[in-house]
Formats: sequence, structure tokens, C-alpha cells
Amino acid sequence: MIEEKFASGQSFIHKLDPKTRIVAVIILSFAAALCDIFFVAVLYFIISTVLIVMARLNRKDVIERIKPVFWFLLMIWILIPITFDGQILYQFSWLKISGTGVILCCKITIKSITILLLFTSLVATMSIASLGNGLHKLYVPDKLIFLLLMSYRYIAVIEDEYKKLLRAAKFRGFRPKTNLHSYKTFAYLAGMLFVRASFRAQRVHQAMLCRGFNQKFHSLDIYQANRFNFIFLIGISAAGLSLVILEKIWI
Amino acid sequence: MHISEGILSGQVLSAGAVIAVAGTGIGLKKIDYDKIVHVAILASAFFVASLIHINIGPASVHLILNGILGLLLGFAAIPAILTALLLQSIFFQFGGLTALGVNVVIMAVPAVLVHYLFLPLLGKSSKLNFTAGFLAGFFSILFSSLLLGVALWFTDKNFFETSLAIIMTYIPVMIIEGVITGFCVTFLLKVYPEIIPKKL
Amino acid sequence: MNNKKNIIRLKNITFSYPGSDICTLDTLDLEINKGDRLGMMAPNGSGKTTLLHTIMGLCKPDSGVIEIFGKRLKQEKDFTPIRSKIGLLFQDSDDQLFCPTVLEDVAFGPLNLGFSQQDAIDIAKTTLEKLGIQGVEKNVTHRMSGGQKRLIALAAVLAMEPEVLLLDEPTAGLDNRVREKLINILNGLDITYLVISHDFDFIKAVTDKIYSMESGKILTDEKIHIHRHEHIHKHGKRPHVHK
Ligand SMILES: Nc1ncnc2c1ncn2[C@@H]1O[C@H](COP(=O)(O)OP(=O)(O)OP(=O)(O)O)[C@@H](O)[C@H]1O
Ligand SMILES: [Mg+2]
Repeated sequence: MIEEKFASGQSFIHKLDPKTRIVAVIILSFAAALCDIFFVAVLYFIISTVLIVMARLNRKDVIERIKPVFWFLLMIWILIPITFDGQILYQFSWLKISGTGVILCCKITIKSITILLLFTSLVATMSIASLGNGLHKLYVPDKLIFLLLMSYRYIAVIEDEYKKLLRAAKFRGFRPKTNLHSYKTFAYLAGMLFVRASFRAQRVHQAMLCRGFNQKFHSLDIYQANRFNFIFLIGISAAGLSLVILEKIWI
Repeated sequence: MHISEGILSGQVLSAGAVIAVAGTGIGLKKIDYDKIVHVAILASAFFVASLIHINIGPASVHLILNGILGLLLGFAAIPAILTALLLQSIFFQFGGLTALGVNVVIMAVPAVLVHYLFLPLLGKSSKLNFTAGFLAGFFSILFSSLLLGVALWFTDKNFFETSLAIIMTYIPVMIIEGVITGFCVTFLLKVYPEIIPKKL
Repeated sequence: MNNKKNIIRLKNITFSYPGSDICTLDTLDLEINKGDRLGMMAPNGSGKTTLLHTIMGLCKPDSGVIEIFGKRLKQEKDFTPIRSKIGLLFQDSDDQLFCPTVLEDVAFGPLNLGFSQQDAIDIAKTTLEKLGIQGVEKNVTHRMSGGQKRLIALAAVLAMEPEVLLLDEPTAGLDNRVREKLINILNGLDITYLVISHDFDFIKAVTDKIYSMESGKILTDEKIHIHRHEHIHKHGKRPHVHK
């Protein structure tokens, strides 16, 4: 289930330093999220697709990945036009379709897809280990990075345990239904996951002690500096800045 | 339970980010080095538990269980939830970067509240255990959906009806999370009471 | 006879898990001398893992004396320095390999011992190479196979250059090829070790003496006779202890 599908490419983006990519994604995502003009939002969208193309990701996988957001957008398109006030675009008897609402829907659609594509092209293209490394270089507290890496490490292990527990329950005739018995069973399964997680944590902590853990996290620095990082970051910042300026002048 | 990208206003996003950073800071301070692995792997369990789907008639919902995590971890639940949400956005693209702060607030603030409200009720009698667990599960989702509604409402007053509608749709989830959390707490107290923190 | 240097000595160790009234270890005695290659075969739940954890100071005994390298160890801080000299291979590699990538996992110990980054990386690489698993340094640990994880965990332990190895069921879940490899590795090491295993042939191939455990105590060679029956028997081909 937990796959780092995009992490193992050889593109220009993949070769960038994790730190550079994190800074770039923060700048671009927030600039895009804060932008309020549809036309400018389209420009951010274009930047995000360019990055996706540069990362040479499998197009099908990318679409598969952002699919959940389409459900959300569908809901938005149903709810917002009829619940918003403002200039009325269309009216069937009691049902008023708000023009402001439709414009807002367009903006939300393009912005949410843009932000997801930015995240996919710049962050999903690195392994969690590299992400941890990049965050470390950006002065994110070591404890938080440790939580991230350790939690990631044991998700697959715990998921495996969950599958085994569920299989055992099914072998004993458990069929999930809408009733109290099913809920109780799932509650026990979830409880068991927390119990196992806690036991696992004790053993892992012991293993750390055995290998001389002394309350200090050491991070291996295995990424070489590369002058493209700097150029890329300048480019991204310039693009973000000019779009922000463009928007300000527009108003 | 989260808000997608591209919908909230700048003020709401930054308010969320600031609260999330402050909360994470407090949470990290409270985790000492002997406990950090415990918090990390409970966050993994929380992540995996959110993949469990439960039927309600023809539909199905996934578990959220921020109530349980809150009971078990207190303030440490904030960095744990941040971690889990970040991993979710990396693996499933549930949410991205800009709404991360708001989403952490939506999930983690109720978790911490529930810890202080209902943990003191645990361990007194088995009936009370279930009730306290139920309330922890119910209120964590209630608070979360209220926060979600508030985030939308602060973004645009026009979102009022949408917010109400969302809170309404979460009512069955509140009940289910209540029941599941109630059973889960009784289970934990029976098989491994040490996992439940003793004092506040 | 007594010219051998005593490394680990447990005397009258009693231990029970909190909340349990069974003594998992019951006035147990054990001595490990320099150069010993000991094996241990005993049923599930007889306390083998607990014994190893007691040596490492992960389980604190209720009574008894632990002496390691001639020093008596009581508190947590007494155990800290010896943990880098005694390498424990955990029963479940997933407990032991907690870093995101293989290289980081193997370098974790050396970094904690104060080696510089470059030195730690070099140590990790040579150790992996020695065990014949080069080329996987950047791989994500949890996606390695069970056998690979075992060898990586062993590398992580050996990277700290311990003087004694404690191996908790190293062959569980390994295929014959990796098992053979492990036999060669262990026989090629010039190090004191204690191996727990349910695999008789493996233990026989890598150790000189086989112990067992029963009701919280160690049974030494003289008291037991572990052998393999060639005839049909209700235990089948599985080696077992005759009392
Ligand atoms: N953390 C724990 N808390 C309570 N009891 C425990 C704990 N770990 C082990 N025990 C109990 O202690 C006894 C000995 O366990 P131990 O793991 O040492 O056995 P073992 O000989 O290593 O078994 P195996 O061959 O299955 O690995 C068992 O009865 C077990 O139930
Ligand atoms: Mg064992």
C-alpha cells in the first residue's frame, strides 16, 4: 500500500537537493493558495504542469493520484453555486445559481489541482529519507524529523499486523456488517493495533539503546550540492514573485 | 477529516499554520527521549487505523480515531497527527501543504481537549469506561467538524450553509467513532492498561 | 582449565515480568568465557529472549548479580558502556532496523560511538561488504526481504565491533542459502558468541557447546543430551531434549 511510486526517477527534479525542493514547494504552494484572480491561478497551474513534465512522471499514475480531489470538487460544484449569494446566473423556480459561486468553484478547482501537482512534482519525487534530510537542513527540530521517519518506517509493519488480524477474524467467520458486533470487532482490532504498536515501540527503543543511542540524532548527509539547485530556486522565486506582483498591479 | 487545498483564505491558512506550529512545539517539548519511539509508532498505528472502513448501511466510512490518540498521548498527539497527516499527503494526496496547518488544528486540538476532559473518568468502573470512551470519540469528531465549519465560515460568510451541512453529515460518524472508541478503551483497559496514561 | 577470561557472569538471577507471578528466570547462573561459542536450544516461552535482554540490561533482574568484563552492573548507566561491546541481534529484525535506509541503519551505531560521518559511512560500507550484501546501501530498509533484513541487522550489530555477540534465533525464516552464508560468516568471525536457535543443524555447525533452559534455569551440557533420532519417533526429525 505504502509506495513511493514517484521517488525513484532520474529527472532533473529528482536530482535537485531535497532542501531546494521543499523551499520551492512552500513558495509556490502558498503563492498559488493566496492568489485571487482566476487568470493568475491558471498561470500557477501551468507552472505546476511544467514541473510535472520536468519530473517525467507517468501521466496515468499522476491522474490516479489526484483522483480523490475530483470527488471533493464534484461536491463543491454541487454545493457552492446554489448556496452562495451574489449575482444570479440562472434560475429554475426556487433554485438560484450564483455567478459568484461558479467563479469561486472555478478558482477552487484550479487552485486545488495546482497545489496537489506542485506537491506531487516536488515532494512526492523524493524518498522519505531525503525529505527528512531536507527538513533537517532547514532547521526543522530533530524530534519531529525522527517522528516522521520512525512513523513511516513502522506503518508497513503495523499494516501487516492489521491484515493478519483481519484475516484471522475472517477465517473465524467474521463478516463486516452494520451492527454492534461488527463495530465491536473493529474496535478490538484497532485496539490491538495500538497495543502491538506500543509493544513494538518498547522493543525498538531497546534496540536503540543497544546501539548506543544517547539522546542525539545523527543525520547522514548523502546529497551533494549541485549548482542547479541555486538556479532552480532563483527561477522559482522569480516566477512566484512576478506572479504576485502581476496580481497586485491587476487590482 | 480534512479540508482540501485551494479553498481557504490566506488568513485562515496562516492562523491554522501558526496554531499548528505552536501546538507542535508544545507537543515536542512534552515528548522525552524515552517516549519518542512510542509516540512515533502510535502515529503509525493511527495512520493504519484510518484505513479501516466501517459499514453504515450501504455506505462506508473510514475510522478517524483522533479521540483515542488524544486519550493516549495528550499534547504529544499534535506532532503525532502532524506526522500522520504529512505521510497521508505524501502517499495518498489527501490534502497538500498549504492546508496542512489547518488540518492539524482540526484533528489535533479536539484530541488534546478530549484528553483533558475524559481521561480523568477512565479506570473507575467498567460502565463508566465505555461511556468516557464514547464521549471521547463523539466529542473529538464533533469538535473537529465544528473547527472545520469555522475554518470555512471565516473564509467566506457564504459558506455558512455548507458548514452546517458538513457538520450534519458528520453526526453518524460522531456516533460510530463514539461506539468504536468506547469499545476500544474498554479493550485497552482490559488487555493492556499500562498504555493509558495514569495522571494528567 | 581456568585460564580462560571470563566475560559474562550471571549469578542467582531471578526475574519476573511486572504483573506476572511466574519467575521467567529463576536463580539462574551463566558464564560466558572469551572464545566461547555457545548454543542454546529450548522450547518457546522458556525465557531465552529474556535472558539475553537481562545481559544487555534491558530487563532489570529482581535479584542476583550481573558481572560483565569483571564489573558488577546494577543501574541503567552501568549498562550504557557495555552495550556497545556486546552485540545483540534481536529476534525480529523489524525491531532492530528502524532507520529509513540501509546505510543509515548500519551507520547508526558507529555515529553514536562518536565516529565522524565519513568514518561511519565507511565502516557501514565495509561491514555490509564483509557480509556480502553490498549495493543495497541506499535501499529502503523495510522493503528488503526477511533474509536480507537479518543480514543487515547483523551488519548493524557488527559495525559496532562488539567483543561478544548474542544472537536470538538468527535463522528463523531464512532459506538454506542465507542460512549457509550465516554459518560461514559466524565460523569466520573470531568472536565470542551465544546463539539461540531451534535449528539443530545450524547450532551444531556454529557452536562447540549446547545449553538448554527449563523452568527459568540453564541446563548445561552435562545435564542434557540433545541428539537427533534416525529412527521414527513421535518427535519426528525435530531435535529434542531427553531428560
Ligand atoms: N514484555 C513482556 N511482558 C510480560 N511477559 C512477557 C514479556 N515478554 C515475555 N514474557 C513472558 O516471559 C516468558 C518468556 O518469554 P521469552 O520471550 O523470553 O521466551 P523465549 O524463550 O524467547 O521464547 P521464543 O522461543 O518464543 O522466542 C513467556 O512466558 C512470555 O509470555
Ligand atoms: Mg525469544
